[in-house]
Amino acid sequence: MKKTLSVALGIVALAAAAGWLLSAPGTVAGDRLAGLTPGNAEKGARLFWAGGCASCHAAKGAKGDDKLRLVGGVRLESPFGTFVAPNISMSTTDGIGTWSLADFTNAMVRGTSPAGANYFPAFPYTSYVRMPLQDVADLFAFMKTLPAVDGVAPGHEVGFPFNIRRAVGLWKWLYLDPAPVIAAPVASAGEVDAGLWDRGRYLVEGPGHCGECHTPRNAIGGPDLTLWLAGAPAPTGDGKVPDITPSSSGLGSWSEADIAYYLESGFTPEFDSVGGDMVAVQENMARLPPEDRAAIAAYLKAIPSD
Amino acid sequence: MRNLIRGLVLFTAAGIAAIPAISIAADDPVAARKAVMQSVGAAAGLGGGMMKGEIGYTPAAGKAAIATLNAAAHTYGDLFPEGSDLAADTTAAPAIWDNRAGFNDELAKFASAAAAAMTAAGKEGPADLDAFKAAIGPVFASCKSCHEGFRVKN
Repeated sequence: MKKTLSVALGIVALAAAAGWLLSAPGTVAGDRLAGLTPGNAEKGARLFWAGGCASCHAAKGAKGDDKLRLVGGVRLESPFGTFVAPNISMSTTDGIGTWSLADFTNAMVRGTSPAGANYFPAFPYTSYVRMPLQDVADLFAFMKTLPAVDGVAPGHEVGFPFNIRRAVGLWKWLYLDPAPVIAAPVASAGEVDAGLWDRGRYLVEGPGHCGECHTPRNAIGGPDLTLWLAGAPAPTGDGKVPDITPSSSGLGSWSEADIAYYLESGFTPEFDSVGGDMVAVQENMARLPPEDRAAIAAYLKAIPSD
Repeated sequence: MRNLIRGLVLFTAAGIAAIPAISIAADDPVAARKAVMQSVGAAAGLGGGMMKGEIGYTPAAGKAAIATLNAAAHTYGDLFPEGSDLAADTTAAPAIWDNRAGFNDELAKFASAAAAAMTAAGKEGPADLDAFKAAIGPVFASCKSCHEGFRVKN
């Protein structure tokens, strides 16, 4: 009896120790950071729009140049609570003006703050982890050119147990993975320009973080990759986020040109207009060069669907 | 006196003509606003098809698209009475009733853009595709601007 109890206690202690170790906020190895060349702000601008940083970190409803004022405050409602996007402007008091490139990289691809805490995955580092570190450096170089705006966004409104940041480390252990979601174009898509498709995969699975809304999540908020981009309930309760796979309920009837035109103009093939949260996304995509919209279209037309 | 009678006759005729439209809209505002928005969609399809080069441009077709949008802008705001947010099959967002002032601002953008396009179209319609694009562009921008906050996709 005593032996059973001590074995059981031993297992619990081991599990706790393993949990503690697995939940530790990770960082990128210093030698990988040391090899980076100083970021290129012009290349970074393209990643800034592909990544849609402004959609959450600029003030709600910001248009034009106001999208470059990254003061935070947009509220992201979810089944786990409401997350509030922080100030990521160059303000040295309220934003990220004092951050090093290492700080920025650890935030982007490890979800870890300069102080060593886990960020909540409302910040889509599970997608950004697919970005090469040099691209992260380019993005940081661009963000350094943006205005410093003072102002602290309100705190997150997330209840127990989801507010335990340490536990997010276990979630990261499960879901933070730099591997591509889709290994190769599906055979049914026929002839595919491999270079274009790869670029599209990078934009969609990486900086564009399309899967964060268009892929359904399980009970603990992990993406169900078997239903990649197949549509999901809207996190805010009303309506749903559409299926953008090439299925009959998704983009099956759209041509690649239709998808690219939608991302440029905001109009579907039937000339319905873009709406809801996708408006800000579409306006960002409209700032990309045409070949990037074509690449996204090529990728979306050659991924698995039901 | 004769002018007064003529005025009264016209006034009454206009009132009678308006009665059926008002009663249909009042009985089923959801069906009415859907029909109006379908006409807007069809006009956008015609205009967009010409802008993409899929349909050959003619000034008459350009004017038809603009006039349809302009007519819709005159009536659309009246088709969202209190209570019509509860219909099972509406894609109108609750924000229309929660933030009526914001919705009215969007409707005003639609109406002023459509009125300006109507003026630009003139009697014959915009002379060429570039003139058409310049006239209808701001109207198209107002679609997105309103759908951003006031429509829910199902």
